[in-house]
Amino acid sequence: MISLTAVSMAHAGGRLALDGIDLSVSAGERVALIGPSGAGKTTLLRLIGASLQPTTGLLRIDGVDPWGLSARDLQRLRAGIGKMHQTPPIPPRQRVVTAVLAGRLGQWPLWRAMASLVYPLDIAGARAVLEPLGLAERLFDRCDQLSGGQLQRVALARLFYQQPQLELADEPVSALDPALARAVAVALNDDAKRRGVTLIASLHAVELALSEFSRVIGLRNGRVAFDLPAGQVGQHHVEALYAGAGAGQVAEAAKAEPRARLTRCA
Amino acid sequence: MTAGRLPYRGVLMTAGVLVAVLAGVWRLDLVPAFAEGADSLGELIGFLQRFAAPDLTPAFLAKVGQGAVETLAISLIGTLLAVVGGVALALPASGRMGWPGQAAARFCLNLLRSVPELVWATLTVLAAGLGPFAGTLALALHTAGVLGRLYAEALENTPPAPEAALHEAGSGAVAAFLYGTLPAVAPQWVAYGLYRWEMNIRMAAILGFVGAGGLGAQLYYALSLFQESQAATLIIAMLVLSLLVDAMSGGLRRRLVTA
Repeated sequence: MISLTAVSMAHAGGRLALDGIDLSVSAGERVALIGPSGAGKTTLLRLIGASLQPTTGLLRIDGVDPWGLSARDLQRLRAGIGKMHQTPPIPPRQRVVTAVLAGRLGQWPLWRAMASLVYPLDIAGARAVLEPLGLAERLFDRCDQLSGGQLQRVALARLFYQQPQLELADEPVSALDPALARAVAVALNDDAKRRGVTLIASLHAVELALSEFSRVIGLRNGRVAFDLPAGQVGQHHVEALYAGAGAGQVAEAAKAEPRARLTRCA
Repeated sequence: MTAGRLPYRGVLMTAGVLVAVLAGVWRLDLVPAFAEGADSLGELIGFLQRFAAPDLTPAFLAKVGQGAVETLAISLIGTLLAVVGGVALALPASGRMGWPGQAAARFCLNLLRSVPELVWATLTVLAAGLGPFAGTLALALHTAGVLGRLYAEALENTPPAPEAALHEAGSGAVAAFLYGTLPAVAPQWVAYGLYRWEMNIRMAAILGFVGAGGLGAQLYYALSLFQESQAATLIIAMLVLSLLVDAMSGGLRRRLVTA
């Protein structure tokens, strides 16, 4: 599904954000990316999402190099990749139903997108993805009337409505309270399992990464520190990954201790 | 040392303003003009009295009504055309289509804006002939320059993340703009458009003086023929029209900004 061969990414200043990454993810895997801030998690996700072009190395998505495609084919490839961000990129004045329907803009012809701005064309479809997330009654509310957690669930509904073959989430739950964070992480994993699609998410909550995902990749200083099935990630891996990082990150990493949780999902 | 200097600033500024006022009065010969005016005060009052009885005959009122509708139409169509032109120029002027487009669009906007409506109207009357079409065109040209600049600034101040996210999820450039950026700028764009419409209804009344139709043209004829009572009716009609439009667009804008 995805393969990276010796991929490096340099920032404008010349500093390497990613340094010689070799990685392959097969279809249907659910991968969590963990690591301290600045490890390159966001950059890696943007590379895999064909948003950023690697400085050196080869990236293949479904066997093709996205940067060798024509603009139209790149657009078509991206339409099959769904993305979630830490801050939902939704205009505050947009209605929830429109924000959700925007998920299929890559599949809709332009006339349909324009007609749907005048009157939402697939209200039933938007309701169907919002219902399980507990937001069906907010369908016609404006997004600036929602709380941060509700807005992130709208972004999740948009991702589900897009029905992508590859789901990429960049710290989707960092701004949420622990209960909601778990609910969103579970919903992401359930959707990926049910439809058999690939999910890659970066997380600060190591505990969630170990309990919900099938594979965990630790990134540090732009390199892969470890790449293991979730059940084989031990306390020492996590400690080594976050060693020397800020106190806040150590505290978050410390939540990962109970082994019982690891066996439950292994 | 510096503490001793500060209080003189107020004295100096007051003196400066006084000198400027005195120089202005002297340069414009205002003192003799006022003295003369006092002599002809009775004449002036007599002139104003002839305005006190507006012409309210049904035939003339119907004509005024037609003129009012024409003025309203000139301002409405002129502003709508300006909104379309403003959007078309604001998109490149905000730098979305590279710097050559930006430079060209900014040049066009400056050109359109720096020529006042009255000057545009004299030009369009020459080009398109006397009548409401010339007035509409003149309003549209100047207002497109004003709105285009405001619209471009609104675009530049809009967060790019929503549109970028849609673009990265495979949506086309137009659809990404419509769903990502338009919801953020539309209320501002509409509010600016309504505000300019308020100004244009007054401007449409004035444009008649250079032959661009509407109430202004009727007022110009009435004053030229010393028909003071008819002129009074026309001035009242202009006042009512602009009050109506002010109230309507003011209410709409308040709803847009607070909602």
